[in-house]
Amino acid sequence: MAATNSTHDGAAPIVAHHFNNILQQQSSVRFGMWLFLATEVLFFGGVFCAYTVYRRWFPLDFEAASTALNPMIAGINSFLLLTSSFTATLAIRAAYTGNQGRLKAMLAATIVLGVAFLGFKSFEYYQDFEEGLVPSAQVANPDPLHHHARGMDSQFAHNLQHVLEHKKYYKDGAHLEDVNLDRCRLFFVFYYGMTGLHVIHMIVGIGLFIWQYILASRGFFVPKERFVYVEVLALYWHFVELVWIFLLPLLYMTGHHSFSDL
Amino acid sequence: MHAEQKPIVFEHEHAPPNSVGVTTLIFVIMLGLTCMALLVGFSDLGPMKIYANLGVACVQALVVSMFSMELKNQDKLTWLTAAASIFWTAILFLFTMTDYITRGYAAH
Repeated sequence: MAATNSTHDGAAPIVAHHFNNILQQQSSVRFGMWLFLATEVLFFGGVFCAYTVYRRWFPLDFEAASTALNPMIAGINSFLLLTSSFTATLAIRAAYTGNQGRLKAMLAATIVLGVAFLGFKSFEYYQDFEEGLVPSAQVANPDPLHHHARGMDSQFAHNLQHVLEHKKYYKDGAHLEDVNLDRCRLFFVFYYGMTGLHVIHMIVGIGLFIWQYILASRGFFVPKERFVYVEVLALYWHFVELVWIFLLPLLYMTGHHSFSDL
Repeated sequence: MHAEQKPIVFEHEHAPPNSVGVTTLIFVIMLGLTCMALLVGFSDLGPMKIYANLGVACVQALVVSMFSMELKNQDKLTWLTAAASIFWTAILFLFTMTDYITRGYAAH
């Protein structure tokens, strides 16, 4: 793409003064995002590593706790996020070809799909809260002489048992014998921590897409060379999708789910 | 750029963004992989389920990074950055797990 140094109306220059030309600037912008994403991989890597340690130590407890989650909402959210990545990629193409109308439409679609994801996620958190699946130290039976072998002292354990007894796999209670329900709180610490970090990243991404939509409305992307800013935001959004791709099997699909439970 | 200045690593034409057709094809492939991930998640594969789950997730991650994020079109410096992030994460997992996995052996 040809290098130009000013916009069509002579406003803000396209190439910043510290770059030699537009190609060098575009490559620097792109590389900056990749460098940031490398730090993000390490950031999430630490959390996934901690999860792996405890998952290896307590596989049955993690499977039981995961069964209590709602796989249908997770499935819907997977498709919403996937579609939002699709529209984000189409936005890059629209900016590259200078199609301002399509650019705004694709940015708006990405925002709507991202907000829909957060809506379902909020509903899921609300459901978990209503079922009492919040890891806390609240004791269900304050009598110290009354102690269950497989851990049933916390209110959380009673709530989890109540939820699992409605699931097909644990209906007869046989599989619950090997599970320490108190310890399942550990899984929920990871569940809220990991999905919470992912939600924060989504909120930041949606905020940036809204900002780019406003910029697009003001004609910022009329010089086609600026498509690179849409591209790097889409890179970030794809990374958020990547994190979800691993959260789905490790948190939601670890448990015993059947289509009859839906 | 001054005439006497040598071209530097960043100054070359970058491949254009994916066309609408290619983007749609990637989307359809990812839809199929997501359906597969959910099917595996709802299946009863026993201890193999986690490996099947992670296998599908790794294929999805490969498609997203190579084609959606267009890593295949990036320069060597970007490849080095992506590889470094994977390498250091692998170091993180390797050193941590060599401790936790082998703790049982110390007792014998």
